[in-house]
Amino acid sequence: MRDLHLSLNQTQRVRLEAALHELQSLTPAAASAAAVTVADTIPVNQEDNILKGHGTSDQDGEVVATLCGVVERVNKLVYVRTLRARYKPEVGDIIVGRVIEIAPKRWRLEINFSQDAVLMLSSMNLPDGIQRRRTAVDELNMRSIFEENDVICAEVRGFQHDGSLHLQARSEKYGKLERGQLLTVPPYLVKRKKQHFHHLAQYDVDLILGCNGFIWVGEHVVVDEKVKATEDQQKSSDEAENFTPLETRKHICRLANAVRVLSALGFTLTVELIIETAEASASSNVEVNDMLGAEFYVQTAEREAKRRADLLRKKNGAR
Amino acid sequence: MEYVDPLTGFRVDGRRPNEMRKLKGEVGVVARADGSALFEMGNTRVIAAVYGPREVQNKGQQVNSKEALVRCEYRMAEFSTGDRRRKPKGDRRSTEISLVIRQTMEASILTHLMPRSQIDIFVQVLQADGGTRSACINAATLALADAGIPMRDIVTSCSAGYLCSTPLLDLNYLEDSAGGADVTVGILAKMDKVTLLQMDAKLAMDTFENVMGLAIEGCKAIATYIREVLLENTKRLECQRG
Amino acid sequence: MLQSKSFVKKTKQGRIQKVVREHYLRDDIYCGFVPCSACDAAAERKLVADAAAILVVDTNVVLHQIDLLENPAIEDVVLLSVVLDEVKNKNLAVFNRIKALCTNKARRFYVFANEQHRDTYVKDMVGESSNDRNDRAIRVAAHWYQSHLGESVKVLLITNDRDNKRKAIEEGLNAETVESYVRSLAQPGLLDLVVVPTSGDVTMEDVEDHRPSKRKVIYSEHKPMSEITSGLRCGIYHQGKLRVNRYNPFEAYVGSESIGDEIVIRGRSNMNRAFDGDIVAVELLPQDQWHESKSFIADDDEEEEEEEDVHLVPNSADDAPRNASSTQSSVGSSAPSVSSRPVGRVVGIIKRNWNSYCGSLQPMPMPAGSGGVAHALFVSKDRRIPKIRIQTRQLENLVNKRIVVAVDSWGVLSRYPSGHYVRTIGDIGDKETETEVVLIENDINTRPFSTQVLACLPPLPWTLSQEDLANPNRQDLRHVRVFSVDPPGCRDIDDALHCTLLPNGNFEVGVHIADVTNFVHPGTPLDEEAAQRGTSVYLVGQRIDMLPKPLTEDVCSLRADVERLAFSVIWEMTPDADIISTRYTKSVIKSCAAMSYVEAQARMDDSRLVDPLTVDLRNLNSLAKIMRQRRCDRGALTLASAEVKFEIDSETHDPLDIGIYQIREANQMIEEFMLAANISVAEKILKHFPLCSLLRRHPSPTKEMLEPLLRTASSIGLNLDVSSSKALAESLDNAKSNDPYFNKLIRILATRCMTQAVYFCSGDLTFSEYYHYGLAASLYTHFTSPIRRYADVVVHRLLAAALEIAKLPPIFQDGPQLTGIADNLNYRHRNAQMASRASVELHTLIYFRTRPTDTEARIVKVKANGFIVFVPKFGIEGPIHLTPKGDKGGDWVVDEVHQRVTKPGTNISYAVLQTVRIHMEVVEPQPHRPKLQLTLI
Repeated sequence: MRDLHLSLNQTQRVRLEAALHELQSLTPAAASAAAVTVADTIPVNQEDNILKGHGTSDQDGEVVATLCGVVERVNKLVYVRTLRARYKPEVGDIIVGRVIEIAPKRWRLEINFSQDAVLMLSSMNLPDGIQRRRTAVDELNMRSIFEENDVICAEVRGFQHDGSLHLQARSEKYGKLERGQLLTVPPYLVKRKKQHFHHLAQYDVDLILGCNGFIWVGEHVVVDEKVKATEDQQKSSDEAENFTPLETRKHICRLANAVRVLSALGFTLTVELIIETAEASASSNVEVNDMLGAEFYVQTAEREAKRRADLLRKKNGAR
Repeated sequence: MEYVDPLTGFRVDGRRPNEMRKLKGEVGVVARADGSALFEMGNTRVIAAVYGPREVQNKGQQVNSKEALVRCEYRMAEFSTGDRRRKPKGDRRSTEISLVIRQTMEASILTHLMPRSQIDIFVQVLQADGGTRSACINAATLALADAGIPMRDIVTSCSAGYLCSTPLLDLNYLEDSAGGADVTVGILAKMDKVTLLQMDAKLAMDTFENVMGLAIEGCKAIATYIREVLLENTKRLECQRG
Repeated sequence: MLQSKSFVKKTKQGRIQKVVREHYLRDDIYCGFVPCSACDAAAERKLVADAAAILVVDTNVVLHQIDLLENPAIEDVVLLSVVLDEVKNKNLAVFNRIKALCTNKARRFYVFANEQHRDTYVKDMVGESSNDRNDRAIRVAAHWYQSHLGESVKVLLITNDRDNKRKAIEEGLNAETVESYVRSLAQPGLLDLVVVPTSGDVTMEDVEDHRPSKRKVIYSEHKPMSEITSGLRCGIYHQGKLRVNRYNPFEAYVGSESIGDEIVIRGRSNMNRAFDGDIVAVELLPQDQWHESKSFIADDDEEEEEEEDVHLVPNSADDAPRNASSTQSSVGSSAPSVSSRPVGRVVGIIKRNWNSYCGSLQPMPMPAGSGGVAHALFVSKDRRIPKIRIQTRQLENLVNKRIVVAVDSWGVLSRYPSGHYVRTIGDIGDKETETEVVLIENDINTRPFSTQVLACLPPLPWTLSQEDLANPNRQDLRHVRVFSVDPPGCRDIDDALHCTLLPNGNFEVGVHIADVTNFVHPGTPLDEEAAQRGTSVYLVGQRIDMLPKPLTEDVCSLRADVERLAFSVIWEMTPDADIISTRYTKSVIKSCAAMSYVEAQARMDDSRLVDPLTVDLRNLNSLAKIMRQRRCDRGALTLASAEVKFEIDSETHDPLDIGIYQIREANQMIEEFMLAANISVAEKILKHFPLCSLLRRHPSPTKEMLEPLLRTASSIGLNLDVSSSKALAESLDNAKSNDPYFNKLIRILATRCMTQAVYFCSGDLTFSEYYHYGLAASLYTHFTSPIRRYADVVVHRLLAAALEIAKLPPIFQDGPQLTGIADNLNYRHRNAQMASRASVELHTLIYFRTRPTDTEARIVKVKANGFIVFVPKFGIEGPIHLTPKGDKGGDWVVDEVHQRVTKPGTNISYAVLQTVRIHMEVVEPQPHRPKLQLTLI
């Protein structure tokens, strides 16, 4: 199985297979029937004047998939929703990226897209918080804002005329991310939701599920403009803040490993599931470093299978 | 030497002339790559990894910013053959095969959908037993599909040869080195178009047509298999995703 | 449908290398048993339901008992692929025979690919030898058969290996030895076919017990294979194919690449049990023993004295006896030239070329009741083969028969190899039997054409179709006055000519050859059969066709007054026979006359006739004379042969009269144009296909080959210049004396010194080697007789491709295959010649059986106890003994330099070329062994 390079023993293998099989049986048949591979013909009613969307093309009057994925139909639109693929940006997506280059008036970010994304200096709030024209001095000081390899959270602004992708970070919640872990998972595991920023108060941890599959787990940052009231205060508080409590660090790791396990098993990453998995590991006394061991994978898969089965039962019961 | 037993009609390894070796395809074998695949045709085993589409690394190589740049690197692992010789990187044969694979895959990738980007395909022969070229193309197709790169069609390749006055499908190393003609064909399976045709040695025109026909049949069989692998993989991902 | 499973096999080659190969096991291999319902209905089935038992044979049974297997009494045999593989590795000849059996639809031999079958494949076990493993595989397969077929039929494992048999019985299989199985069939004749196992068996001891005096080691032990290979590598031994001298079985040659020369092997003990055609390892003898040829005479068995028979006059050096060593030994002066040839002895046999041989049993007294089994010595007709010891239970049936015998073994203790009886051909001396022997000996296929071959023929009766006429590549020459000249009674007419006077005073001369390739298409069964046969074989009163009769005698034959397809070479020639232009085309012709040589000659000679046909003939003849002269000036040899012709009784087919074939001007005329056509075609095809043309070359004779001619010539004071063909031709022309027959005699003697012309593929040799010595032509090929020679068919295809009329068949792109074709053609051609010579010899014998004759003869060679005479009238030669046999020399003194024998004290002497009168008579020194004897009057 992909990304799972584990040494399972015999019982674990059987259990994992059973769990995965269970998952398969829980999936509605329609979903697997809609799966297509490259060059499969997508059956459509030609009279419907359908719109051919993403991942399709027209060959001799037939709608043919150009990707592997699941056929989705929304009114007249027919498109193929890919599973494993690079990130496809949509305006307003919240993403996490990493600075790879500083260019004139802009940063270039790697965001798992087919090109590097651009964050213009003008598209972000300055540290001083004042809205004004960017000066040459600001340009020279860009590096003091974001350096290479910094992890940044931003929002997709849109495509420019030249086809490049632009980001913006005009909010307090965006900006540099520190003291945490960046995890990269396939983008299809992150569903677009209302909320991508999560403050997990019980752990004192921030969890950002970037739409591009970059996931940030880091120490909670208090968004409080009063903190930087004076220079002196900032300095002393910096020192204090540089110290992340061990407990928090353990939580970060536990959550990060939960994300790793779930993404390796190919489960959609939701806050609830991540927390549940982390809790489960804690409650069953699995050490942080043992979470990536075979046993925990199997347990997670079994738990997920059970959860979905319950969900289904509830749904059917409600009906 | 008799490569086809005149009495039983079997080839040296027990296949019939029109039979392929055992195929095995597996996607997602390289964690870091965007798409990857392992493909086996009998004892020939190759691994392919696809990175991209991603930002063009060397802008000088970009010919047309409206289309994705496809690059390919083919390499034989030192341990892939019986004699462990250190092969210099970028020898003629590797360069040629890299080019062949690149051109074949380029014919299928919808490069115009991924402007200003590049796609890197790395194929490595882990074990060579004839037909590495074909196996590499098949592995690359799987890896590209795994990477979610839009393609016109499934590209598959298969070789066929002509020995003992019999067209033989999917030559292994022993048959390949027999000195007979070796025809490697790559096709777009659904569109039924040939994107690759190579032959060493000479063949009479009508024999050639038979041999090529056989190779195309082989390609189609491989295409069916590759689709199965991909579809199964897609379904599994979708199921697990929930 | 494919159950596959791959695993790893290791082999080691030179450098140690691990080779991994796949081996697919499958479940779609069927048992081949007709009533079996478990197997796929469409599968081939050969084993019938009412078989007493299904036989599974092991490798050694196939290897040694192939003659038994070929007997129709043995049926329902399962051949496992493991057995076939082993047989193939051990003996290719046997493999080919068993292959023929398996493919023969009439025989119930079924090949079961046990190595590929899922249930019968066996893995190598650790520490198991490959032999044991294969035996196990055989047992497993037999088991599978038994359980697959159930109780309905008995599966019987036939093995002579005791261990294997024991294990098989332990495993619950039915197993028997060959002998006990054959005994159970209750057909005593079959038992003769069973080869008696040699290893530690009692029967062999019995044989030796008959001759206790010979229980000694006669031959030295062969060296083990490992020693031979290492010896070959470090150059102590030399590998090559052993060729036994056709006329002196105690002398053999090994062509060795490592030495680059032929190694001479003298005597049976030095030959050390090697047969003609074996691949042997030879050790050179010390140089001081090189010219010591006496030694072998001492070794020889007294009963195998050298014996010369009356035979036909040889046509080339290959036919002539190679008695170099025996004559050299008596002539001290010229010995050093021979001693430079290395002499060696065989130390091991790398590959056997054992075959079956035709011959008869050596006459012997009928043993009184030795339990039915008698031991006898078999004498092959082929003198190169030693006598073979066989045992038989039907001696009385075989004594005066021609039989076929196969060789099985030859131990160091035994003077002769042991073999077994295969089959009877017929009575000795019977014409049909002897003819069949000739055909078998020369490997000539006399089987009727198969239905597949006959299916390739055009629908009969064939007539010229509109398509043929409409073909733009085919020229309509029906209006041209074409005629043919052939031997009387010729029915396969493959050449015709025309000659028209052009307005400019030049002649248009056309040679039209039957367009055989229009009917014989490459790759068809017909073509393959023809390629295999290579040539038609002409025996006295019989012809074995290369192509089926309808083609040979009708569709292709350019008979008079019918429209026929032809391939034409058309020249424009000046009256001085200079070729101005050459044109090649496919054509349609209508011959106006099919004449015999006699008729054509008569027309030309009859000055009263002035009809157009006769004029054409005369024009052609005058052109031919000029061309012939020009050719002779170039250095072409006019060689003479003493071809004879029989007049055959139409009812008994016995020869009625015998005479020298007369060569007329008309013959020479036709010959000249055929030569010209062949040369023109050779030029054309070589120009277009420099690497894949089939040409014919005639190598220059070596000094050594001309030696006997020079010796004879010098003894009578004639000086021949042999430096080139031109010089030789001139000195032959100058060799005149008052004896009218003298010149012809010298030419006949010269002919026998020449090598054979051979076919070759132009890519294999350099241009200078293409030379045809006899014709003094730099290029030559065969184009003019496609009906009876396959080479011409090949050349026709090449020419058609050169003219872009047809595509070049793919076979021409395959160098080795083309060389293979050329080799086969040479082999068939040579065999055909040998067969027709043998046939003539046979008929000569029959002719003289009732007609003792006195005639004139010429001495061609002087020997120690007599001389060899040539009888011009009958074209034969044979020995005349001045002293009775066994009495060595004595009164007669041989003068080798002057080629003269004299009786000291008297003035009776005989010199070479001298005319003597002889008496010819058929005598039977032993019953049923007639031979022609010449005695001096």
